[in-house]
Amino acid sequence: MISKRNRLRNVALVAGAAALSVAATGCSGGGSSASSQTKDVTITVALFGAPPPQKSLDEFKKSTGITVKWSTIDWDSLQTKIAAASTSNTYFADATDVDWSRVGQEGKLGWFLPMEKYIDQKAYAADMPQLSSFTSNGHIVGVPFDASYLVTTVNKQMFAKAGITTMPKTIDEYTRDLQKVKASGVSPTPLNIPFNAAEGLSTYWYQTTQAFGGSILDEAGKPQFTSPDSPGYKAAQWMVDALKNGLVPAGNINVSDSQGQQTLMAKGVTASTFADYSGNVGSLYDVPASSSVTGKLQYIPTPGLSGTTANVSNPDGIGILKTAKYPEAAAKFIEWFTSAENQADFAGASGPDKVMPGYFLPSRLSGLTKLTSAKGLAGGQELTSMLKTSKPVFPAGAPVWYPQFSNAVYTNLHAAAAGSMSVDAAIKTIADTATKLAGQ
Amino acid sequence: MKQRTPLLRWFGIAFILLWSLVPLYWALNISLQTDAQAGSKPSNYLPPTPSLDNYSSLLTGGTDLAQSVQQSSVNIFIECAAATVVTLVLATLAAYAFARMQFKGRRVLFYAVLATMAFPAYTTLIPLYQILTNFGLVNTYTGIVLVYVSGFLPLATWILHNYMSSLPIALEEAGNIDGASRMQVLWHVVLPLARPGIISTAIITFLFAWGQFLFPLVLSSDLSTQPLTVVIASLQGRHLVPYTLLNAAGVLALAVPAGIALILNRYIVSGMLAGSVK
Repeated sequence: MISKRNRLRNVALVAGAAALSVAATGCSGGGSSASSQTKDVTITVALFGAPPPQKSLDEFKKSTGITVKWSTIDWDSLQTKIAAASTSNTYFADATDVDWSRVGQEGKLGWFLPMEKYIDQKAYAADMPQLSSFTSNGHIVGVPFDASYLVTTVNKQMFAKAGITTMPKTIDEYTRDLQKVKASGVSPTPLNIPFNAAEGLSTYWYQTTQAFGGSILDEAGKPQFTSPDSPGYKAAQWMVDALKNGLVPAGNINVSDSQGQQTLMAKGVTASTFADYSGNVGSLYDVPASSSVTGKLQYIPTPGLSGTTANVSNPDGIGILKTAKYPEAAAKFIEWFTSAENQADFAGASGPDKVMPGYFLPSRLSGLTKLTSAKGLAGGQELTSMLKTSKPVFPAGAPVWYPQFSNAVYTNLHAAAAGSMSVDAAIKTIADTATKLAGQ
Repeated sequence: MKQRTPLLRWFGIAFILLWSLVPLYWALNISLQTDAQAGSKPSNYLPPTPSLDNYSSLLTGGTDLAQSVQQSSVNIFIECAAATVVTLVLATLAAYAFARMQFKGRRVLFYAVLATMAFPAYTTLIPLYQILTNFGLVNTYTGIVLVYVSGFLPLATWILHNYMSSLPIALEEAGNIDGASRMQVLWHVVLPLARPGIISTAIITFLFAWGQFLFPLVLSSDLSTQPLTVVIASLQGRHLVPYTLLNAAGVLALAVPAGIALILNRYIVSGMLAGSVK
């Protein structure tokens, strides 16, 4: 028989445990206490790069009364933190990254506040061609702060050594030129395609599909690449053939996008990347510490089916989390952070004191123009015209299920390149995945 | 049964050693090279001109990078040490109770504690995040240490339970006959005998805590609590990956657990085998 003392102790223990459980899990998350205050507040901004110079942040504080606490987290980890905080409805930052590929998912789940409430949508859209990539369910989820779009880069010296002085304008000309570079012995493997099973392979295929004159999905999410005559199918075949025909280094089966750029293009091993990052010429290939081919690489208008084609954009944006403590203050920061003047300064227009390390390219046309005229940005004119005509990968916005779709794309294209499945089988599997995901 | 030939045995040992050590060697090799050397083709199997520049960038000077690495190194030591101490205290008491005391539901409770090890830790991430937020413990040492303790306590309890169960009970009975209370028996008799088991549990807990990434990533939001593992990941840029720097940071993060494992490996093995042979 249990003594009275023991019984009381047990009751107390259970009551204590229950009280702890209720206190711990009964309350909702702490994200509901948003304030419209914008003076004398501290906001947290979490992004994957180093912060803007402290002097710039101090000026922002002086003019607005908003102190910015910057948290640097790598891109992958940041997505985990956004998901964890939003799912548990808890605060971790006021403003953070909105990647173009997550717009559908994050928009549908309502993790970010609609930006049209805080910005002049019309004025922004006129100066930011990539703003459309951040629209989901009629709302703007984020504002692009760093223009990223896929561009074609060419080592003009290697091309010249192979006797090519006029840059290719079509895919056929481009392929012939690469074969010429290979045959001349200038580079036995002149083309860089990152076949590692990662996101960089997916985006390479999107750009190549665009070059072949098509798109990946229609507005309903239906795959547009199943027929052997479709641009997406041809693009996949062209990429795999390039590896099998020896235009691409055999080792590229395990090379990621950044590895290829840093160890192949920047070292003069390969002569061209069809879907490179905008800004790489200035920030990587022309930097002596990281490149042995400084001054030799240039952007060319991306060759297409019957002439040059549009560039697929994959920009990074910044948005306000629904759990933000100070949404209005975060909006003021975003307005300041994405202003043309600051974008140009962050990219180096006003000298090293105002540079934001790791910042690539202004997302505003006016910012890019300012940068080009101020410091003679490498390939500035080309980049500006490419930005004007850049297109989102998915005109209707990235679907909610994009992460699973991209996983199917890179996994199967990698398998096709490795020879463990045919291009036909890879395309069929990718299409089946898209159809299944769209139907859910 | 025919014994395996020494040659085959040595081949097996060499294979396992290479399998384990080549990646570590490669990280060290790259960390001692410049970006240009690390990116050269063919690869350099030895650093052409060994340089400690990457380590210098990470550890010295007043740069933001060095300050981040220094602060996060302090954080990881504090978090791992505190988690180890708290886990040991609680696990010792729990293990002793499960091993020696008779109470209703003892076996059920013990197996319930062990069963929690079967749950994927990540399934508890969101609830733990909410709990810590509600208690104002996000981005605090206390919050991170509590989560570590909750994660490592079952394993530590199990190891110590096995160790304590293997000790001769006669010594404790002698203590009881001499008039010692249960806590006195635990303190003066059991703990000295269980010292090797406690040391091995401490090492295993410390090493597990050192390798944590996802939980501290989510539960810390700035350098005041971020451990080295989280800060190293943040060195990776969106478009550019500083391979040589990342490898140097990886070697630094590896140095402490590797040193512990090399110096105290006999305790780790004995802890893992505790109770397996009576």
